[in-house]
Amino acid sequence: MSFQPIFSQFQLELDDHNDRRERLIKASRDVTNLSKKVIFLLHRIVNEDAQDYRAHSKHACERGIEKLREVRDIYAAIKPEVQGDSFWHHHHSISPGLQEYIEALSFAHYLGHGTLITFNQVQAALSDDLGAPYFPLPKEDYLLGLSDLTGELMRFAISGFSRKGGRARAVQVCNFVRDCKSDFDRFAPFVKGLRKKQVVTSQSLEKIEHAVYAIVVRTSEYDLPQEILDDIIGQSMSSNAYKEKRRNRDVGSDDEREYDY
Amino acid sequence: MDAMDVDYLNELLEQDVEIREKIKQQVSDLDKKVRVMVGILIKIHSTPTDTLPPLLDSVRPILRSCHDTSAALASLVPPNQFWRWKEMWSNSLRTAVYSAALVEYLSSGSLITLSQASEVLGIKEEWADRFSIAVEDYLHGLISLVNELSRLAVNAVTLGDYEAPLRISVFVKDIFAGFSMLNLKNDTLRRRFDSLKYDLKKIEEVVYDVSLRKLTDSTKSAVRK
Repeated sequence: MSFQPIFSQFQLELDDHNDRRERLIKASRDVTNLSKKVIFLLHRIVNEDAQDYRAHSKHACERGIEKLREVRDIYAAIKPEVQGDSFWHHHHSISPGLQEYIEALSFAHYLGHGTLITFNQVQAALSDDLGAPYFPLPKEDYLLGLSDLTGELMRFAISGFSRKGGRARAVQVCNFVRDCKSDFDRFAPFVKGLRKKQVVTSQSLEKIEHAVYAIVVRTSEYDLPQEILDDIIGQSMSSNAYKEKRRNRDVGSDDEREYDY
Repeated sequence: MDAMDVDYLNELLEQDVEIREKIKQQVSDLDKKVRVMVGILIKIHSTPTDTLPPLLDSVRPILRSCHDTSAALASLVPPNQFWRWKEMWSNSLRTAVYSAALVEYLSSGSLITLSQASEVLGIKEEWADRFSIAVEDYLHGLISLVNELSRLAVNAVTLGDYEAPLRISVFVKDIFAGFSMLNLKNDTLRRRFDSLKYDLKKIEEVVYDVSLRKLTDSTKSAVRK
């Protein structure tokens, strides 16, 4: 067959591409898995009882970052596969894990610093100890990863509600998430998929707002002892949860991190 | 997010939007050229074989004019970002490759290689990380070529050229054998490849018809091939 030499070159190239793609998808799944575990770990730690909340929260952040080193190891390992123009060739395969990693990283960062992790800080986390990036961080993945953070913060605010200082924290988180939402709305036209995630953010924000509303209303009318207040808020949360669930069913929320509290 | 970071990100995203707009402009330019070429090449079905060369010569300047578009696109795409933007021009480039391949086949009877196609369209090797013909796009172009040749096999006979189907049959079978070597994943390329067998069948029928009626002198030898 006369075209064999031409096509055998393509065969090598396509096979190489497909094999690499498989490896990167697997790495991306591992990253997703590890990142999800870190998010759960962070929730577990912040829900432990602690004397000094700030120190405890910093401790959670450190534990999370430490665990996320395993993700860095994965990225270090795939670095040779995504050099040069290869990164964008395989971006679709890398992106899901990367976004999950950014979500975990930003959650740990929030617990440690109370701020949103910056683009450059994420890029730094995706670099080796000498500061050489494993690959360039796409702005889209940064923003999409961060927009998942709001769901975790909602969970964090509400599950920590009945703890000492939890209500003040919920107010903080509420304001923080609201700021995130307004910042991200600005980016929504640029980034594919961000608009959809903003809908989920709005839902999370509304949940926190309902909970915060409950504190304000109850505490303004009565000078109640702390533990009775906890009961009242617990009740409000469960009826609120029921309502939200029904609404979500109508909207058809696709967020897998949507949960029942 | 503090205001500085928001502005910074916004600026980066604006830059991408600008690149996208500029690429879009070049692609629509390329599209126009490609449409003109395809328009001319449709006439091969009604042009007797011996008057084909002037027709092909009228396509060549347009192919050459693609050099400008290629250079413009290569300068627009940031280094290493070829794959990030390539979806934008894939369709147009595939058709350009098809046009180049058809001109090559009709003038020399041979298959245009990927590097020849790049040369015809003025795509330089050193642009590989910014603008080049991806293997998939080249292969898409070849499938379009086969689709067209299966029609040509029929129409050539109508115009009285009984040898053309035999040549086309050998050529297309070789291409098909080449494609069979590839492990294609389940995408449009794979589906289009799967449809090639119908083109092959159509060409076979034409060859069968002309051979059976002994319309060509070389019938016997060609069939044996």
